[in-house]
Amino acid sequence: MDREFIRNFSIIAHIDHGKSTLADRLLEVTGALSKREMMEQVLDTMDLERERGITIKAHAVRLNYRADDGNLYQLNLIDTPGHVDFSYEVSRSLQACEGALLVVDASQGVEAQTLANTYLALHHNLEIIPVINKIDLPSAEPERIREQIETVIGLDARDAVLTSAKQGIGVHEILEAIVHLVPPPKGSPDAPLRALIFDSWFDSYRGVIILVRVVDGRLRLKQKIRLWSNGQVFEVEGLGYQAPKATPCDELAAGEVGFLSANIKTVSDAKIGDTIVDHEAPAAEPLPGFEEIKPMVFAGLYPVESHEHGLLRDALEKLRLNDSAFNFEPEHSVALGFGFRCGFLGLLHLEIVQERLEREFDIDLITTAPGVRYRVTNTVGEVIEVTSPTKFPDPSEIKQIEEPIIDATVITREEYLGGILKLLEEKRGVQKKFEYIGGGRVMLTYELPLNEIVLDFYDRLKSCSRGYASLDYHLSGYRVSSMVKLDVLVAGEPVDALSIIVHKEFAFERGKDLISRLRRLIPRQMFEVALQAAIGNKIVARENISAMRKNVLAKCYGGDISRKRKLLEKQKEGKKRMKRVGRVEIPQEAFLAVLKVGPVEEGE
Amino acid sequence: MPGVYLAYPFCAQKCTYCNFASGVYPRAVEARYLDALEAQIRTCQWEWMPETVYLGGGTPSGMAPEGLRRLLEIIPGRPWAEATIEAAPGTITAEKARAWAACGINRVSLGVQSFVTKEIRRTGRKHTAQTVADEIGTLRDADIGNVNIDLIAGLSGQTEASWRESLDWIERLAPAHVSVYMLEVDEDSRLGKEILNGGARYGAGETPGDDRTAGLYEMAVERLDALGIARYEISNFARAGSESRHNLKYWKLEPYAGFGADAHSFDGRVRKQNPESVEEYLSGTGQVLDPPHDDERFFVGLRLMAGIRPEPEEWRRFEQPIRRFLDAGLLETEGGVLRLTGRGVLLSNEVFQEFLTP
Repeated sequence: MDREFIRNFSIIAHIDHGKSTLADRLLEVTGALSKREMMEQVLDTMDLERERGITIKAHAVRLNYRADDGNLYQLNLIDTPGHVDFSYEVSRSLQACEGALLVVDASQGVEAQTLANTYLALHHNLEIIPVINKIDLPSAEPERIREQIETVIGLDARDAVLTSAKQGIGVHEILEAIVHLVPPPKGSPDAPLRALIFDSWFDSYRGVIILVRVVDGRLRLKQKIRLWSNGQVFEVEGLGYQAPKATPCDELAAGEVGFLSANIKTVSDAKIGDTIVDHEAPAAEPLPGFEEIKPMVFAGLYPVESHEHGLLRDALEKLRLNDSAFNFEPEHSVALGFGFRCGFLGLLHLEIVQERLEREFDIDLITTAPGVRYRVTNTVGEVIEVTSPTKFPDPSEIKQIEEPIIDATVITREEYLGGILKLLEEKRGVQKKFEYIGGGRVMLTYELPLNEIVLDFYDRLKSCSRGYASLDYHLSGYRVSSMVKLDVLVAGEPVDALSIIVHKEFAFERGKDLISRLRRLIPRQMFEVALQAAIGNKIVARENISAMRKNVLAKCYGGDISRKRKLLEKQKEGKKRMKRVGRVEIPQEAFLAVLKVGPVEEGE
Repeated sequence: MPGVYLAYPFCAQKCTYCNFASGVYPRAVEARYLDALEAQIRTCQWEWMPETVYLGGGTPSGMAPEGLRRLLEIIPGRPWAEATIEAAPGTITAEKARAWAACGINRVSLGVQSFVTKEIRRTGRKHTAQTVADEIGTLRDADIGNVNIDLIAGLSGQTEASWRESLDWIERLAPAHVSVYMLEVDEDSRLGKEILNGGARYGAGETPGDDRTAGLYEMAVERLDALGIARYEISNFARAGSESRHNLKYWKLEPYAGFGADAHSFDGRVRKQNPESVEEYLSGTGQVLDPPHDDERFFVGLRLMAGIRPEPEEWRRFEQPIRRFLDAGLLETEGGVLRLTGRGVLLSNEVFQEFLTP
């Protein structure tokens, strides 16, 4: 198609501001799917995952739209994940577009993540069309939100489209705005091929499927292509686009969006942000912006049942086929046995992987406390990167430790400021900006150690703002910090899986809380058990679990030996689920104690 | 020689700590039950002559003497070496005692539980210490001198001082046999539910914890021993020669036949359980079988203070746990005998688990 009639756009929205509903509506109005299909399809994708060919909320859906000017346009809706963990992927998706719909809830207003993604879009010179959604709700205040978009983001919102995706109001106006405001793609079909990879996934029949935006030149079936970053050469075996059903084609030309398969074995070969060029006549330069993404958050994953170790490894390998952003390496814990140290983009990413392992592979997991990547300079002057407490050098060999720092943006309502400022303070935050953004809302910019947000920050933020605070962050650098390794000793034996890296100032408090939590979680044993928290050789907290006094079955009702056996077997079975460290049986919950911060609460 | 167990799961009221399938039923159900029980006994092919009979409950002392006579009449082997009936204090009259003796009963097990009125009331019972004293006299008059008294350590409101009072009564009444159970708070009992819900009925809030209950139990062990009533099994204490011959069969893996709801039988190999509830029993639900196990000698036999004599093969197979428990002071060994220590008794489940064969 003539590039004049192509429009590539994405939708930027905060969770629940109506992105999916709007996307569905656009599909429906352009006739891509009937209302009835809509329902069926949406339900399907929940279960089938995107591998199965038709993805609706797709990553890239082609819509054919006959505009009021009488011309037929090809609109490519490129969907992006919205979470801060995936900001690199978001930026690559945005790079594939010329425009974006900024969808803001007419009552809720601008949120931190929307803001961050909008800035990303502006950075890529995208034309942004403000859309104020949910205007049908009684609490809607479109005029106030319009003003907020102007003051907070600095966008001209005079022509913001007022919609209710749910009611179908304003959908036509949005399509017209896309056609008239979003510029057609630049780039030349006659230049050497340059195509941007903005997503990829593994399909067990066809290998890796790559979503591409052709920037220059043409991508053809049977063409020999080369991936810029690793120089690997493949032959294009499948080419097509989603409309939203997978539709094969022979060629994708400059400006177009689609998918290709080329018998690529793993997603880590087709990296997001990489450039595809022609093998015979390669372009001179790749597209800008490619980065190797590095995990930021690390945790140990262990099978509850130690014999499931092999199963876990297979599952991790399978997941990695589809998700090159996370990595893992074998790790051994004295307490938990054989497991894996895994790196993730962020906490949500960790949760996704954890959930997929448990749900899709049916493996019960113990996850150790998430941590970050520290830069440790030892006394010899070498700099090593440490992502696991067990690998932390002895304090006597450490010259200095640097920890990762983030720039965090929090948007909230004025009434919750008190609690949030206190929380940020407590998490060693340094305030950089404090702005009123209208409508009783405040935007805070803070410098925070990443280490402080990987544990309970989200939950705390949510609870002190009743959910009315949004957060966005990006890594801004490293800073020298007094971090220490806090060890836990049970009956004199260090339990490696309970070690955490913590700021010196908090070590005493964290140690005390952790020990008192453990005292409640570890059942009494046949002897007294000492619980200690230590930094190096220095004990900072101690409690004892007194010896079990009685575990005896008294009554024998009419010779009921079978019942006695069952009770004993049940007790024995319960112990199997525990991990034995030295002489002490430690239940799984105890290993989760490190995930909690703060004093033990009532009823815990 | 084997034993016979008859279950009579009817009570005048349900005790607050009770989690058994016994309770209060309409009279008509009881009559049907006795008929079914009689029928079950009649179907039995006696391949051996019973040596002991045990009427457990429920509250068998609440049974009409005529009904009891009918049941015992069809059990062979009279006079039995030991024929026990469980009795709730406050249900024994001179007439009843004579009737019991007449149909072969020669031992009564009294469910006293405590001699302290406050504690007794909280269990839902109505007797007093004096009732017990009077009834033991009544039984003696009917020539039933072999009496067991049940006590429970860990009842609500129980203190070291009040427990001493109960033990003083044991000294005064001088029974041949005493059973001391540690209260197991069961969530299916009224008391258990109350404790779970944080309520105050039945003195739920004043129920001693595990540690104190263990202390009370050890107090009893010591006191009874001083009275010449020695512990021969985890919960059973007797003067020399007065050990319960029937209960010993359980621990020594000797056979017994059980009749009635939730009654258990053991033929020396296979264990069988009758349906638990009266309703299921009456509707003719079948027995549940527990196939033979070769590890019972340990977790059952070790309950006896005399201990067991493991085979050479067992010493080898269980070398590791035996070593561990000897070191921890939970087991002791002497001349090829293995037995629990005093501390081992209280932690016996920890020990027994290691001897189960998977």
